[in-house]
Amino acid sequence: MTTHITSAELIDDEVESSGRPRLRGRPELLLTPLSFVLLLGFWEFAVHHYAVNAILLPPPSRIARSLLEGLTGGLYLTHFLVTVGEAAGGFCIAAVAGVIVGSLVTQFWLLERTLYPYLIALQSMPKIAIAPLIVIWFGYGASSKVIIAAMISFFPILVNVVVGLRSCDASKLDLLRSLSASKWQIFWYLRLPNALPFIFAGFNIAIIFSILGAIVGEFVGGEAGLGFLIVAANTTLDVSQVFAVLIVLATLGVTVFIGLQFVHRKVVFWAESDDINRYS
Amino acid sequence: MSALAPLITIGEVGKTYRTTSGGAVKALESVSLEIQPQEFVVVVGPSGCGKTTLLRILAGLALPSDGRVLLRDQAVRGPRRDVGVVFQDAVLLPWRTVLGNVMLPALILGLDRAAFRRRAGELLELVGLGGFEDKYPHELSGGMRQRASIARALLHDPSLLLMDEPFGALDAMTREAMNLELLGIWQKAKKTVFFITHSIPEAVLLADRVVVMSPRPGHIVETLPIDLPRPRGLDIFGQPRAAGYVTRIREKLGGAAPGSAALSRLEMSS
Repeated sequence: MTTHITSAELIDDEVESSGRPRLRGRPELLLTPLSFVLLLGFWEFAVHHYAVNAILLPPPSRIARSLLEGLTGGLYLTHFLVTVGEAAGGFCIAAVAGVIVGSLVTQFWLLERTLYPYLIALQSMPKIAIAPLIVIWFGYGASSKVIIAAMISFFPILVNVVVGLRSCDASKLDLLRSLSASKWQIFWYLRLPNALPFIFAGFNIAIIFSILGAIVGEFVGGEAGLGFLIVAANTTLDVSQVFAVLIVLATLGVTVFIGLQFVHRKVVFWAESDDINRYS
Repeated sequence: MSALAPLITIGEVGKTYRTTSGGAVKALESVSLEIQPQEFVVVVGPSGCGKTTLLRILAGLALPSDGRVLLRDQAVRGPRRDVGVVFQDAVLLPWRTVLGNVMLPALILGLDRAAFRRRAGELLELVGLGGFEDKYPHELSGGMRQRASIARALLHDPSLLLMDEPFGALDAMTREAMNLELLGIWQKAKKTVFFITHSIPEAVLLADRVVVMSPRPGHIVETLPIDLPRPRGLDIFGQPRAAGYVTRIREKLGGAAPGSAALSRLEMSS
């Protein structure tokens, strides 16, 4: 939008100058925040003036107070770090395992044929359903959450690694073969870098899944973390606290996603952003 | 052309592909050709005449169904390190710089990196890409990419250069410029070149010998020595002898329909 400004557009802006040329053609820049403010205003108004139970649905002002107290008191930070640590640990394990298993599976057809039924069975199973079992086995501490996060985020990475390593155009393979490259040289110089856009698409999904996994683990049985905080607030009917933690979680998710997109663009600089969207 | 032992001997080579439906497609039939060291051989033929198949067999990327190919008296049964291939598209790896792409053969073949980095720099100068070492392929034009791929094919100093319609995707102006540059490179580097094209004037401009192939199943219709003085420029098409070659090749390709002579004149003047 801002990269290519033709002279015609510039003239248009001068003619219709309404003081807000940037919003022309992008009404959502104004409408989205406006609708948000209106929604919050109506919410606040409705809770105060209609028969809405403020315990079940606290007004935005009370949620904001809870959020502020939690942020300044250090309560959220402590639990935030726990959850982030669990999710990050799970994601890293899943990323390493996904890339290694995906590579082995695509390089050795015997391994693929052998493991395929297991992988399909594991993938079709809702992994959240195993969470209680994992908590029994690995306890109420962080390790069970790390494992659940890793399990949930493993498959999107694996699938994308396999698809990425397979999708290599014939002409590039011909080039390396014409130089008598070995199987492992083809993997290292061609297949792996060629798969990076796919692998990052998998990472994008997996990093959100890993947060999900950590939260679920804390729901099932935890001693700390934002998920634990939600359950604790729920049992005491502190609904504004629940909302406040949800806001923290949403912010975490968006931040992590944007961060990964940034890394993605730096590492896979040659791929069009279209590709990223198409493969994710 | 010397009467020394040929660099390549193609003996009665045939190639039959099995289709997925169980049928068989005969791509090449009984192709025989000898190529001398440092000779520039250009193959012309209609689409689907098996030219690319023949090149893939020479590159060791495909095996013949019948006959055999000898490279210096050794049968070609797979890719060989003294062969460089230039494909229809430049086939550069988008995550490597121009220098990184040109260096690829050295990495794959396990050659001395420092020495070959110097050579890569010299080759990039030779193909007119000096100063573009650190650019990425998506920052280059189509012609520049194909130059880089030529430098890459020359890096490990192969004695045989296989070129599969390397300039087919370029516009006419760039193509002419690239043809002349290729001639310059060939004269300096003294390689044997096996070059595939659709363009008859391109064949006449470049070749020591033009090999004309028939539609599928591809076989050699005629081998025509091009007896024009070198170094050649685009001005050769002003000579009646060059025009004669163009007409002759066109006739051999089956283009003896009325108006083909006029067409060839048109193509020459462009």
